[in-house]
Amino acid sequence: MSALSIDGVAIEDTFAEAFDMRATRLIVTAADRTWVRHAALSATGFATSVIACGCEAGIECELSRRETPDGRPGVAILIFAMSGKDLQKQLERRAGQCVLTCPTTAAYNGIAREAAREWLNLGASLRYFGDGYQISKLIDGTRYWRIPVMEGEFVCEEKVGLVKSIGGGNFLILARDQGAAVAAAERAVQNMRKVRNIILPFPGGVVRSGSKVGSKYKTLMASTNDAYCPTLVGVTRSSLPAGVGCVLEIVIDGLDADSIGRAMREGIRAACARGSERGVLAITAGNYGGKLGPHHFHLRQVIA
Amino acid sequence: MAALRLKLRAKPPCLIDASPLVPDALAGKSRAELDRIQLQGWNQTFALGDLFRVSGEDARELVLDGLDGSLVRVGASMQSGTLTIVGHTGDYAGESLRGGTLTVRGHAGDYLGAGMRAGSITVSGDAGAFAGSARAGHTKGMTGGTILVHGNAGDRAGDRMRRGLLMIEGNAGLYCASRMLAGTIAVLGQVGTHAGYLMRRGTLILNDATSQPLPTFNLNGQPELLAIRLLVAWLVRRNPAFRPLTQARFTRWLGDLGAEGKGEMLIVSPTL
Repeated sequence: MSALSIDGVAIEDTFAEAFDMRATRLIVTAADRTWVRHAALSATGFATSVIACGCEAGIECELSRRETPDGRPGVAILIFAMSGKDLQKQLERRAGQCVLTCPTTAAYNGIAREAAREWLNLGASLRYFGDGYQISKLIDGTRYWRIPVMEGEFVCEEKVGLVKSIGGGNFLILARDQGAAVAAAERAVQNMRKVRNIILPFPGGVVRSGSKVGSKYKTLMASTNDAYCPTLVGVTRSSLPAGVGCVLEIVIDGLDADSIGRAMREGIRAACARGSERGVLAITAGNYGGKLGPHHFHLRQVIA
Repeated sequence: MAALRLKLRAKPPCLIDASPLVPDALAGKSRAELDRIQLQGWNQTFALGDLFRVSGEDARELVLDGLDGSLVRVGASMQSGTLTIVGHTGDYAGESLRGGTLTVRGHAGDYLGAGMRAGSITVSGDAGAFAGSARAGHTKGMTGGTILVHGNAGDRAGDRMRRGLLMIEGNAGLYCASRMLAGTIAVLGQVGTHAGYLMRRGTLILNDATSQPLPTFNLNGQPELLAIRLLVAWLVRRNPAFRPLTQARFTRWLGDLGAEGKGEMLIVSPTL
């Protein structure tokens, strides 16, 4: 089998291992872009990893006035969790504390009716904040709740759809130094953000602290991925080729495998563009030997 | 396949219950079977073939032609398909409708869509009293679906309405939305007195800026509510004639405080 490379950057013949998750899409609108971003950033904050955040969430895309149910500027938010129960809890908390509280906002279901496997409570839970003054309206077959708040009314749909999804798609950028790695990751993220149905849950879409399963400390379920830490070369069984001084990972959660694969392809191509002269040395991916997650994204196929 | 068309041969001697003439019941029947269907009149029954001239085959698109108001309960309990009436229906057209589309190209009598659960009714002319209300002896009016009256509606439109949408393009009579439990009623023309009398919940949208709410409604102001925008957009999607409401500013009244008091009356504010 021939060695893989793009623009002189070696692509390791391995695969990213991803696992099943549950997800929902929330459409948040507001009077203008400023407030819709405030709400979206707040609702998707502290949601980088299910390891400690309870969910993984991010902004999928911005929506124009024509794309939202109420004709106002909006964003689509994707929230991923390990189970429907976890997702319900996170949805309630985040919509209740970050969207309901944000001036001028409204929240709608973003999952197509026919695609939803189950339904999560949105307004059906948040309505109790109205203390009996809440109003239900059935508009065109969809039930909305109108919750009186000091600013006016918070409008949201009663339910949002739940879909099966995939979390943990990833690839690693191995670069000569920190500057080269960050620049490559930024190029990758910029391209990947154009793909729908996915989010990059870590700050700026990039994670510097990729983890392995388990730890020498019993209380930790994950710990630093020592095989890819440049500062541990020489003291641990390192997986880093010679010359690598910095590694960054991009994690992708998506509603379907195709979207994750497309995002990986866009990201890897952007990271590798003129890679050899920009200090990008190799691309690889994180897996657990194929034993943990049922979804395998082979880099050879992804970049084909 | 051409729509199944039943054309009334002559004016019947009495009122006739036309509830068996719905697409679900007539589907798959031969011409002979159709002719033998019994229709109940006042103290006598009629064979369908004696009353109607039958043409066409497709019962899912049923047409009753030449009606003069002597057929009552037209489209009652219909579940699917389309039923088009050419002429005028008697009382209780679309009573307990469960689905499908009932179109009346003429006027409808009293109790149009009384107790309907789903589906849609469109009347090109006027509707009588108690459109979308409860059937006699029942405590809840329509619980779903849409009624669109292009003409005027009589008194008590939406009485005890529980859910769904009642749109009146013309004027509404007295006591519109009386005892309304929930749902949405919109009137593009003028509305008679006592609108919203004892309404408990629900939304009554009035385009008549001169409407005077009952003293048991409290003024809430002119809030710019997103829910109003969603409601009006819905009305326009159902009937573009309601488009002027998209530019309107509404005065909101809450009541009826003589009942539960959680209803809202949205009256278009006069333009300055």
